[in-house]
Amino acid sequence: MQVEKRYEKLNFLGEGQFATVYKARDNETGTIVAIKKIKFGNRVEAADGINRTALREIKLLKEISHVNIIKLYDVFGQGSNISLVYDFMVTDLEEIIRDRENIVLTPADIKSYMIMMICGLEYLHANWILHRDLKPNNLLVDERGVLKIGDFGLAKFYGSPNREMTHQVVTRWYRAPELLFGSRIYGTAIDIWAVGCIFAELLRRDPLLPGSTDLDQLVKIFDLFGTPNETNWPNAKLLPDFVEFKPCYAKPLKMIFSAVTPDVIFVLDHMLQLNPLKRTTCKDALTLPYFSNAPGPTPPESLPQPQSVIDRIKNKSDALARNPSKRKLSDETSSLKKRLNF
Amino acid sequence: MSGNFWKSSHYQQWLLDPQDIMINRLKELQANNLKEDEYYKLMIFFTNFIQSLGENLRLRQQVIASATVYFRRFYSKYSFKCIDPFLLAPTCLFLATKVEEFGLQSQQRFATLTASLIKSKYSHLYTQEYPYKIQHIWECEFYLLEVMDCCLILFHPYRPLIQFVNDLSPDDQSLLQQAWRVCNDSLRTDLCLMYPPSLIALGCLHIACVHLKKDAKQWFSELNVDMEKLFEVVRHIMHLYDILKTYDEKEKIKEILGKIAKPRLTNNSSSSNIQSSSQNSQQQQRTQIMNQQAPQQQQQQQDQH
Repeated sequence: MQVEKRYEKLNFLGEGQFATVYKARDNETGTIVAIKKIKFGNRVEAADGINRTALREIKLLKEISHVNIIKLYDVFGQGSNISLVYDFMVTDLEEIIRDRENIVLTPADIKSYMIMMICGLEYLHANWILHRDLKPNNLLVDERGVLKIGDFGLAKFYGSPNREMTHQVVTRWYRAPELLFGSRIYGTAIDIWAVGCIFAELLRRDPLLPGSTDLDQLVKIFDLFGTPNETNWPNAKLLPDFVEFKPCYAKPLKMIFSAVTPDVIFVLDHMLQLNPLKRTTCKDALTLPYFSNAPGPTPPESLPQPQSVIDRIKNKSDALARNPSKRKLSDETSSLKKRLNF
Repeated sequence: MSGNFWKSSHYQQWLLDPQDIMINRLKELQANNLKEDEYYKLMIFFTNFIQSLGENLRLRQQVIASATVYFRRFYSKYSFKCIDPFLLAPTCLFLATKVEEFGLQSQQRFATLTASLIKSKYSHLYTQEYPYKIQHIWECEFYLLEVMDCCLILFHPYRPLIQFVNDLSPDDQSLLQQAWRVCNDSLRTDLCLMYPPSLIALGCLHIACVHLKKDAKQWFSELNVDMEKLFEVVRHIMHLYDILKTYDEKEKIKEILGKIAKPRLTNNSSSSNIQSSSQNSQQQQRTQIMNQQAPQQQQQQQDQH
């Protein structure tokens, strides 16, 4: 089937730094998909053949398959443009966290999100892949409530010694302290730090460390976890961009998270260690008591959906109620049909 | 560097049946009136070409090895007349540097260095001016990605080789070096299209042991591998060494290169065959990159180009 007939563009979903995302219907299978059209970008990027961000995503997603990781269905191109076709996801963790008016996240809901997130990440780490950009916005949720890790534009294989990597990764609020100090050699601990920040954000419904600059980010981190010293983070001074801060002590996490059970604090404490070598791993994290203690995680399909998604579903069922005849509905859509015109 | 080979696209999509490789190749041989060993020598020539181009660009061997495999994958499915191998070679290197995250290369260098390498080293084979610019490489990159069905991550025999040598006789540098050289040579065969890299590594190691008169019968007999397949790998490499005895880059290759049908390049400064073919394909349909079509269908499509 020809591509332009195969994918029927439905609506515009959003725009990122490198891409525009559309919702579309795959006329071959009848499923709804998300199409990410990689922007041609500025001159420098354009003069580089296939966009590197897209290439990273293609090469990695082609090799991996896990229920908690977004699936790449198809790639098509035209001239020098390239478009990637994914599962359509109704929402993301950011939208769920921010919808404070309509969504109550119970401890069981949070546990469910955490388990799905860590399972997906464990799979990535076991395959020697660092995600390098974990944040609520990149943790997508489908209509059955299943969380899937998305956006592999910064992801990379790790494990080659002596190969330096850039420290300019991860959205600031979720960036580990070693990255802020300019570390060029790092590992899975940077993703764990981000998971710790997201866990805190799920509990607080507000970002834990919303730094306004890189320096302010460090200030916020040390304010909470204390400044680095020889016990909590030996050799931090050796990092390339190390700066000395006015010494202060760590605040007990219990003070900030007064309403949570001790097993939650225990998890946060294992994930948000200043010293990357002391931070837990995905595999170990899942064995912490929190994940086996009561309450058990909410089944994905029972997790709350944001109001916007409920409205959308409602509108759809209203439309169906108004047009009980399926044939009529398809006539209506075909008259509105706008061919995908990339 | 990746996880599990047995779950990779390399294993699941790109270990081809030797018979399928031969079917496509026979068509190519007939179309160009080539003998089998001439085709073989041609591929050796282009592997050497990619190697020296890669060395000129100061790329790591890993990148060069990947580019070589990309090159073979492309021509295992398509004919020389679809894309000029002198254009596909730098394109494979270009894509491999990006996939292996080998830093940002100066873009223009790919085309200019290819042109100057041809001028300095291969002027006897390529008499006219090298016609391709970086724009052609970008265009060609798309086709390469499409033909490979977006399978970019490769497994090479080097890593398993190191493990095997460490197990067979640790710290035996001469054995590792010898086997490593055989591994490099194995890039000049079809092995990467047919066998898992670990098996290729064992074949290389076996040859190195024989060469160094090292008795490793016991070690090999304890392996849990299909010995018949291992000997097939060894036979492929021995066949390569036979061919190399009569391999002559000067006269013979020139003659063979003269035989292969080249895609026509119009003189119209920027509109190459590839570009015009992409315009065609735009009229026909947008270029579908993934979703494999039947090879025959692909062939027809390419013929239309």
